[in-house]
Amino acid sequence: MDAQEPTDVPATLGDEIGGAGKAYFDDVVIDNILDALLELSAAVWTYHDRVNVLETVLAEKGIEVSDAIEAHLPDDAEIARREAERAALVQRVFGSFVRRPTARPNTINPTAFTGDDQ
Amino acid sequence: MSRGSIGVTPRPTRLADESYLEFITSFRRLAIQEMFPKVAEHGEVALAKALETGNVQKPDDGEVLSLSEIRKVFGQNPVTPTFQRFVRTQQEMMWRRTRESFYQDVDTVMVEMEEAEAAHPERIHIDPDFVEPEYTRREIHCQPGGYTDDPMGGVVFHYGTKVFYEGFNDQDELHIELAEKATKPADGKVDHVLDIGCSIGQATTVLKDLYPQAEVWGLDVGKPLIRYAHARAVSHGKEVHFKQSLAEDSGYPDDHFDMVLSYILFHEVPVAKMKEIIAETFRILRPGGTFSIYEFPSNDKNQVSASHRFLIDYDSKNNCEPYSPGFVASDFRGIIEAAGFEVEEGPLLTNPFLQSLVARKPA
Repeated sequence: MDAQEPTDVPATLGDEIGGAGKAYFDDVVIDNILDALLELSAAVWTYHDRVNVLETVLAEKGIEVSDAIEAHLPDDAEIARREAERAALVQRVFGSFVRRPTARPNTINPTAFTGDDQ
Repeated sequence: MSRGSIGVTPRPTRLADESYLEFITSFRRLAIQEMFPKVAEHGEVALAKALETGNVQKPDDGEVLSLSEIRKVFGQNPVTPTFQRFVRTQQEMMWRRTRESFYQDVDTVMVEMEEAEAAHPERIHIDPDFVEPEYTRREIHCQPGGYTDDPMGGVVFHYGTKVFYEGFNDQDELHIELAEKATKPADGKVDHVLDIGCSIGQATTVLKDLYPQAEVWGLDVGKPLIRYAHARAVSHGKEVHFKQSLAEDSGYPDDHFDMVLSYILFHEVPVAKMKEIIAETFRILRPGGTFSIYEFPSNDKNQVSASHRFLIDYDSKNNCEPYSPGFVASDFRGIIEAAGFEVEEGPLLTNPFLQSLVARKPA
């Protein structure tokens, strides 16, 4: 290969999905609710899937955990960890309400860019 | 810890990422395959009624119904913005999580590409002085960094398009079909093959399988895609060349290739560039050579339904396809013919949305 410089890794998202976001309803709250619904559904499935995998793995090892789960009480460290995870979930599900808090934001690229005028 | 791969497709680095992205795949399938047909049916019926009652003016013979009228009628259905919201949101969710997942393993991915380049430097061709023109640096399909600006763009594109294809291309099934249906020259001589706009080389490597004696090249403007394509080909034992270049300025000699393939390239470039690419392909294809083209539909003869025009218009504005409206409105076939090609219909694909053309350079 021809010589080349190593490439830096950008940490940020691109403008298309990292900006203020698009709105499709006159009432932006509807956009936010639908976003929340999708994130919430994805989260529900993700956790459900993990529990499926967990139960399968444990069953393969001959371990019955259902009773132990019901009897388990967390210590302070576990409480703090679970609280942080829960807060992250809330952010993910309801982040749109922060992203588009009031009026309909400007859309990205409001006019189609054809490039033919270059 | 690596979680391996799903056949030829990389597996997300964490179970939670994979579950999340599989959910999006299932949701996307519902939105595209079940929701859009309802939006389309409702819109087509409403539009027919509006034309009948005179609420929408019938276009004159030879004229095309304006997109603004289509948008207005389709937008009266509240499910339309719901569909638009859902499709945009699932696309954003997909890119965010795909990128987040594979960036967990960034060092490994970068090292794999570097090792492949060290092992087979003769098969990857990157000019360090090449500068991507501005028109190529768009975040097509909303992919962060687009095809050009995210060094992890190859693996992110690979898994992202797995979701985009709703699980129907996990093992390159679609690209195998494209390569298998690419038309050979009438004389059967296939020594040099080129895949223009090859992205991560999924069809390119299949072309090598089909024509093992031929020298096969993949060309793309995106360095992250080319580097990933090369590493993938090396890991699969495929002797394929990849080159970062502009399709309109490929650098190959005149009359060099026997077969050229392009898959959904032209709607991702401005019409002026599309014309240059077709002229360049004519130059590098040998007399009697074939150019197999799979592409978005053209509406030059008003052959695209109002609902598909609505979808393409939406896709352009909301999935960062800045050039597709210009492409769809163009006389694509006429432009190819004007470049000197003889054009005929190509083999139909499983995806009926795409047009298939075969352009032959006269012998």
